[in-house]
Amino acid sequence: MSIDDVLHSAVPPQDRPVVLDEQGQREVRRAILAAIAVPGHQVPFGSREMPVARGWGSGGLQVTVAIGGSQDRIKVIDQGDDQGVNAVNLRRLIAGTLGAETTEDTRDCTITQSRHRIPEQAMTDEQVLVLQVPVSEPLRPVEKSIAACERMHAEADYSRIWVAMYEDLVTGGVVNASSGYPVLVNDRYLMAPSPIPRWDVPRLDQGDRLTILCHGRDKKVYAVPPHTSVRPITFDDVPFEVEYARDQRCIRCGSTDVYLVETREGTYLCSDVEWCARVRTGDVDVAEHERQIPRAYYPDPAKRVRGVGIRLQGRSALGHSEHTGRTAPGEEWALQVTDLVKVFPGRLGSSPVRAVTGVSFDVAPGEALGVIGESGSGKSTMMNCLIGNERATAGTVRLAAVDDGRTNVLDLDDAARRRLRLDVMSVVHQDPAAGLDLRISAGGNIADRLTAAGWRSFWDIRQRAAALLDRVEVPLHRMDDVVGQFSGGMRQRVQIARALATDPEVLLLDEPTTGLDASVAAGVLDLLRELIAEREIAVVVVSHDFQVIQALTDRALVMHRGAVIEQGLTDQLFADPHHAYTQRLVAAAHV
Amino acid sequence: MTEILRVEHLNKTFHLHAIDRTVVSLRDVSFTVRRGDHLALAGSSGAGKSSLLRCLYRTYLPDSGTVRLTLADGPRELTTLSDRHMARLRGREFGYVSQFLQAPPRVGPLELVTQAARRRGLRHDPAVAVAKDSLTRLGIDEALWDMDCAVLSGGERQRVNLAAGTVSPPQLLLLDEPVSALDPANREKALALIETLRAQDVTVVAVYHDMQIIRRLANRVLVLADGRTIAEGNPTDVLGQHIDALEEVSL
Repeated sequence: MSIDDVLHSAVPPQDRPVVLDEQGQREVRRAILAAIAVPGHQVPFGSREMPVARGWGSGGLQVTVAIGGSQDRIKVIDQGDDQGVNAVNLRRLIAGTLGAETTEDTRDCTITQSRHRIPEQAMTDEQVLVLQVPVSEPLRPVEKSIAACERMHAEADYSRIWVAMYEDLVTGGVVNASSGYPVLVNDRYLMAPSPIPRWDVPRLDQGDRLTILCHGRDKKVYAVPPHTSVRPITFDDVPFEVEYARDQRCIRCGSTDVYLVETREGTYLCSDVEWCARVRTGDVDVAEHERQIPRAYYPDPAKRVRGVGIRLQGRSALGHSEHTGRTAPGEEWALQVTDLVKVFPGRLGSSPVRAVTGVSFDVAPGEALGVIGESGSGKSTMMNCLIGNERATAGTVRLAAVDDGRTNVLDLDDAARRRLRLDVMSVVHQDPAAGLDLRISAGGNIADRLTAAGWRSFWDIRQRAAALLDRVEVPLHRMDDVVGQFSGGMRQRVQIARALATDPEVLLLDEPTTGLDASVAAGVLDLLRELIAEREIAVVVVSHDFQVIQALTDRALVMHRGAVIEQGLTDQLFADPHHAYTQRLVAAAHV
Repeated sequence: MTEILRVEHLNKTFHLHAIDRTVVSLRDVSFTVRRGDHLALAGSSGAGKSSLLRCLYRTYLPDSGTVRLTLADGPRELTTLSDRHMARLRGREFGYVSQFLQAPPRVGPLELVTQAARRRGLRHDPAVAVAKDSLTRLGIDEALWDMDCAVLSGGERQRVNLAAGTVSPPQLLLLDEPVSALDPANREKALALIETLRAQDVTVVAVYHDMQIIRRLANRVLVLADGRTIAEGNPTDVLGQHIDALEEVSL
């Protein structure tokens, strides 16, 4: 008996080869139901070993086998071709295990399993499209950490995708993502639509068919139910484009408004072989196809980003901020910290560390408060509790910008606290690498802040980034250079520009000049002094260096062993320190 | 004339923990200043004149006693005023010109004086205008306006400091030996500028070493010795009476 005989559809069920047992099929179907219920959301499932190698369609195969049965008619295509080796093998395997018939006519199938294409023939709500996926995580190119990707999906925080797009536009004038262009499904989840060409992306939107996408290796399945919105991610003022070879037609069938692929001779062919054949026999519904053509997205050179050079209208682009600082009603402060305590629990024989033991202060708009103390005094831990990098053990932190200061910010969840860092509270870290992505451009680092805060206009972002970088005296001709190539002082300036990008009401400076050599630190200090003077922002400066505190602040706290031991006007602390520790600190500052 | 500053029973002692010593600087100092007064503090070196100014300005925190400042919006107690309100008061209504220029590094005279005027509520352009005017009147050469203050001579620095303190002047101004490092010609320019403060209704409390300057500028004088007030009155009377105590100074 030949293999063809074994695989033949007439074979009764009990004699068919099993590639996925009933339990495995149920597992896949359960995951598919969850995926349909939450469009675009990647649902993990117990992906099994298949009799094809990972990367050869094992995900799509599991879906088709799980949802299919002997009454189905299966179509399998690879790159639009029913006769590709992979397509033929998968089709025979599926047909054999399901006992189903096969077809090459999209109109006739119940399930189409596809790699790289959506058939030109529109599918109906009676049909299912199964797409094999080589990369399921749309954030993978911008974020390596799986946990971070999951966090971004959970919070719908997709700003990094826009940053990647900003970087593409700045370097090449076009968005590089060609296949697998990131889309937003149902206005909620970012999705990688498998490597279908951009031509097919608009055709995912509000389709009649159910589309199921599955990545066997990553063990993820996700879906676009019928009549679901699918929008390509794009800036408001930079249009999404599909591939379109203007004035070219298929040399076999003569079609123009289909996805054409270029041959080695420079001529063009329909990518969808079935469509091409049916056009030649006149067996196509031209009117139906016409509705599917993504004509609105044909490339328009006039709308392209070209010449990303930037011209600033003088310093006025970012001069003295008209922004008036917000205080809590009836109060003077923009930030209030009360009895903040942080205890690191002891474990493995070490005793608990009381790093911060009841620190209280408040800061008003237009005021800079210094926190000085030597290493280990608890000032960095205190700062980390404010930022949200550490969970405080006890205490309250109130921000005038959050619920008029009625809410204890420490009670908010991590997601809410991260959002606060977008536009209410900014941090400048000692190490620029902690506050910047060194792999992207200076402008891109600022775009990161702006896109996170909801900016969606490429040109607005660019103008704002240029104005900020100009203000911190980063030469504009270096705006599109990767920050990793910058010197320490320049990086710190970019970090400051980024921190100010969204006009925060509270600015936290954590040792902003430590680690820079003296002359560079001086320049950064001068800049910070000017920036603080020209805006109504509440500033907290943490430093071990009295010079920095003197240069930037009017009043200051002295921290020692986790507690505030002395506070006063900065010049008074320096000229008339009362506490023995402060006197030692001042004496040490006179080098 | 209405009272602007009332100081009562002011004491200041420094505790130097590192060497376990205490230094008494002011002992039970009391006086009042009326609006428009030009009060001179006289006394030998170490008598507590500068310490008194700094206690008023709260660069030193007094141990006990009260300092009541009465402005148009009512009286306030400076020794217990919150740091924030003290800092705001200092920017606008209450000024201090130290003996030595305390400029932030890498800032030029024009920028420094302009910033001072802006802190007192002027918009950018008027602030630049008054700053230029003030520097010109004190004879600071225009070529120096954008130089780092650190490269200026001692006399130039003192004049820049005075310009910053007196530009768009606050209601109450403390001057600590504002002309000590100046040659006669520049001293005259500085004194002329200080004289104009009275016309602007600025109250001044100042430390001078030169009796002639006290006679010329002050309408009242307070003589300190060893941290105590030993005399108070109009300059002609007091300086005549206490010529012995002040002799070393006027020489």
